[in-house]
Amino acid sequence: MAADGHPEQEKEQEQQREQELIERIKRGEKELFHDLIRPHERRVYLTALAILRNEADAEDAAQDAILKAFKHLSQFRQESRFSTWLLRVTINEARMHQRKEHRDIMKPLGEEETEEGSYTPQDFTDWREIPSEALERKEVRELLARALASLAQKYREVFMLRDVHQVSIEQAAEIIGISPGAVKTRLLRARLMLRDLLAPGLTGAVQSGSQVPKGSKPWS
Amino acid sequence: MVLNCEHVWKEISNYLEGALDPAAKAALEEHLAGCRHCTAIVDGTRNVLRLYADDLAFDLPMGFDRRLHGRLDDEIEGRRGTAFGWVVSLAMGGLAFASLLMADVRDAGRPVARSEHSQPAQRAPEGTVAVAIQGKTFHVPGCTFLHGKSKLESSVEAIREGYSPCVRCMHELLKSAGGNAPRNHGEQLAKEEMLERGE
Repeated sequence: MAADGHPEQEKEQEQQREQELIERIKRGEKELFHDLIRPHERRVYLTALAILRNEADAEDAAQDAILKAFKHLSQFRQESRFSTWLLRVTINEARMHQRKEHRDIMKPLGEEETEEGSYTPQDFTDWREIPSEALERKEVRELLARALASLAQKYREVFMLRDVHQVSIEQAAEIIGISPGAVKTRLLRARLMLRDLLAPGLTGAVQSGSQVPKGSKPWS
Repeated sequence: MVLNCEHVWKEISNYLEGALDPAAKAALEEHLAGCRHCTAIVDGTRNVLRLYADDLAFDLPMGFDRRLHGRLDDEIEGRRGTAFGWVVSLAMGGLAFASLLMADVRDAGRPVARSEHSQPAQRAPEGTVAVAIQGKTFHVPGCTFLHGKSKLESSVEAIREGYSPCVRCMHELLKSAGGNAPRNHGEQLAKEEMLERGE
């Protein structure tokens, strides 16, 4: 019977299909791994990008993570979701690439801050709603990418998982290996920092196509 | 409950995720109604979440999919290749082992040698004698008495073709094997041939 449109039911059916695929791959139908990985590859790449902040490195790490997942699929015990396991493999792989490349030269925003201290917003610009169509403009997408890249890694990781991939707080905690409370704290800071970074520049870019004024933000 | 701006900032995430209880939510909204700064922060944060959650926000690099699945194909093919290699290796190993077993069985069926001259170590080296094409003798390969063109074949074949063993090199061979050279090597080898045929 076809799905009746309930998101939860569709999600469940999707997970069941994924489960069957995994079983068949484990039994030797290796080619099916292409089908298994397709819905996840964007998430894998973006997670690696959030950590490495470089497209070429992120692509390498994403490929390595996916190959690793293929080689070690037999170790996936279904105690967690496949997506959770895959993103955990990706984060570990990207961190390994990062250590190997020693490329984390740019000092990101919030790197030395402790999570306990509260974050005080620094910009109170009244921000009119930015329409989604604005994302069709390359400079707007670049602003978003650069703002995210300027955050400390611990904030980039939680923000990417929760606010870009829309995984739950609990899943994000499991993937990164921290408590749900720590995810929430980091998430709040990440969101407020991004708002501070983007408020004036993004409004300006959407209105006139201009860039963020040089020197006013960490990435300038 | 009266909230100040700091309370609101701490609760923005919970507010936007709908995780506040009704009383806390009402108190926060009451604060927002009278605070332009906090309203700007909440609206801006909501905007940030909406934009980043949009699929358009990030591009995959051109050709990412092709490169990824190509590499995956290589891995899958490579694994299959390796498995095939194992199968071939095992088959080859099995064949070699079977050949050894067959040879052993053949040797086991061989009649027991009846004299010290017919011990395997003293036999002319089958398959390794060099026959002088222009001559009438066969030699241990490398014998200094072997002149002109030669071919390699078994001593049994050489005898069948009418060649006689070189007295010099065959004598040396038998001596190095610890035995005594028979007076007539050709005769001895012919006897062995008969034994092999079971006559």
